[in-house]
Amino acid sequence: MNSLGGTGAVPSDSLGRHSPRRTGSGRPSISLPRRSLARKVAALFFCASLSLAADLPRDPDYDYDPPAPGTYTLPVVKPAGDGALLDSNGKSLNLRELTHGRVTVLSFIYTRCAAGKACPYATGVLNQLHQLSVADQLLAKNLRLVSMSFDPDYDTPQRLADYSDAIREEKSGCEWRFATAKSRSDLDSILAAYGQTVDKRRNPSDPQGPLFHILRVFLIDRAGRIRNIYSSGTLDYRLVLADVKTLLLEEAKLSKQ
Amino acid sequence: MKTRRHRHSQSTKILRGILVGAFALAFIFSLGAVRADETCSSPYLARIEGQEEFVYVWTLGVEGLGDGMDKLVTVDLKPGSPDYGKVINSVSVEGRSEAHHGGFTDDRRQLWLAGLENSKVFIFDVHTDPAKPKLMKTIANFAETTGGAAGPHGAYALPGRVLIPCLSNAKDKGGKTALVEYGNDGNYIATHWLPTKEEARGAADAQFADGYGYDARVLPRKNALLTSSFTGWNNYTMDFGKLTADAEAMKHFGTTMVMWDFHTRQPKKVFQVPGAPLEIRWAWGDKHNYAFTATALTSKLWLVYADDKGEWQAKEVAPVSDVKGGVLPVDISLSADDKTLFVDCFGDGKCRVFDVSDPQKPKQIYEKPIGKQVNMVSQSWDGKRVYFTSSLLAHWDKQGADNEQFLRAYAWDGKELRPGFDLDFTALKLGRPHHMLFGSSKLGPARTVATK
Repeated sequence: MNSLGGTGAVPSDSLGRHSPRRTGSGRPSISLPRRSLARKVAALFFCASLSLAADLPRDPDYDYDPPAPGTYTLPVVKPAGDGALLDSNGKSLNLRELTHGRVTVLSFIYTRCAAGKACPYATGVLNQLHQLSVADQLLAKNLRLVSMSFDPDYDTPQRLADYSDAIREEKSGCEWRFATAKSRSDLDSILAAYGQTVDKRRNPSDPQGPLFHILRVFLIDRAGRIRNIYSSGTLDYRLVLADVKTLLLEEAKLSKQ
Repeated sequence: MKTRRHRHSQSTKILRGILVGAFALAFIFSLGAVRADETCSSPYLARIEGQEEFVYVWTLGVEGLGDGMDKLVTVDLKPGSPDYGKVINSVSVEGRSEAHHGGFTDDRRQLWLAGLENSKVFIFDVHTDPAKPKLMKTIANFAETTGGAAGPHGAYALPGRVLIPCLSNAKDKGGKTALVEYGNDGNYIATHWLPTKEEARGAADAQFADGYGYDARVLPRKNALLTSSFTGWNNYTMDFGKLTADAEAMKHFGTTMVMWDFHTRQPKKVFQVPGAPLEIRWAWGDKHNYAFTATALTSKLWLVYADDKGEWQAKEVAPVSDVKGGVLPVDISLSADDKTLFVDCFGDGKCRVFDVSDPQKPKQIYEKPIGKQVNMVSQSWDGKRVYFTSSLLAHWDKQGADNEQFLRAYAWDGKELRPGFDLDFTALKLGRPHHMLFGSSKLGPARTVATK
């Protein structure tokens, strides 16, 4: 399928059956990965979401219709920052290589995060987008997802590879890269460039994880310009999808001029 | 095989982390939301954990009083502090800009403070040392950068950026104006002009649109952005007595509110709300799809709400008082449980408290004189502490003995306001205290997270 017509053009069964489903809490749940242990991991993740949803009021978090792609504009926020990275294969690269050439959704995370609507939620949204791209060639060819850790001491390339294996269900679909900063100084400059604040929690054993951070996910156009910034209140995969398609429509329109 | 074992070990650790996360979530939700912070702030704002430690007061300079400059005044609110209720810091900015409202960035590291007269925006670092904010940047070319928007009214935290609703424009200095977005770095992003009859931009009922602006606030789960309307530079810089005697000038006040699609920043519907609807307070409840405002010139409470079909409507729901000529309701503050609305009335200096448990039928339950004049009110998230300041606008404040300028703290027990500390900003040679914003060194997630 190749759809730019709107979020509604994505088959509902692919949203409902194959992608992580939105629970009553609005939190995406993770479908079962293939590997046995990873399957258990994701199943527990899923069960945790369900049990929490049962404890919460049944209010939809995103109670509106998303806009049709191309019916609005996304002003440039600022250029996307650069810095030296290591990907999940241990390969050196620059962040710039992951923010140019495709429409990119960049999520700053750390894998030890257990805060309900922070990193696990953001990764769930990226997983939703990834699974949608499996059935959408336009997304598969033009979208890139990047999960960038700000916890390089713990999130080694190997751990990121394991994390990727545990989270990703589909091996096809759009590019999804996992990376971490090459050094502490590289990390600091990258975080400053994106305005991603990270602090150590006063209690390093805090059950939500040792780091406190604002949830930030960035939409970056093919030219490496930030076009939207999402946080917990706005990180609705339907909105991100509409924004991605809006940028692709913008490109198509510009190419005709 | 070694790699496989290694991966197995890592996966086990991930599994362990997820179990810890599940436990953490259960713990958090069993406790409920932490009670902290001011009730009228942006839901995207990192919240204060525990009681507020400081109140920052954006203060208008007064010629001949102290250094005469606008200044950011910090008052200590830490329980048990020897300086509790005292001014512990003051940072003057250059000149007098008609200091008015302000707001934090979403990470609460910066405090943006606006000047209505010359459209300057002052950005303070409140993260490095929350007790001693430091001026880090001044936006002095606001009108030029934004394509003519003027009179920045405040700053409202959005993810990675601030939304600045304006009051005026540089061309005719009237009330037609815009919403402006800047990034947290101080970089300009976009200008969205309020709809007018001539340029409806797709809004329904645009025949009523006046293009005026004042407040702008978001209900995230409904993707709803609501704006209100006041008046332009020509009026808010005019002497109040002269203004009210000028029949032509009095025609130039906002009579509308606008509902926008927040994500696309497109206006969707214009509501007729005569009499200058000012502050907007969205309810916090999970199923409370409504917001209050008060109309300054007609002394009414209005409700903007989703009807049974989910359509947004606006209706007058209560008079603020039956005082002839009105009481000029200005700032309002809605309690975190959506049951109590504090309404400051500049005209007679009283705070009127309404039971708004039924938002369609507010009932006044209490009133108390706060001073000869009162404008802003800020309420702690637990509803126990309420703070008031006095100044409305430099040219609209009362004269002579009625020109009291104060920050007054009260305790609220659900029935009455009991006075706490009282700071006389004239005696302290500080100026006219206006907007109050709570500060702290202890921050947590945004309320969009905390309430889930």
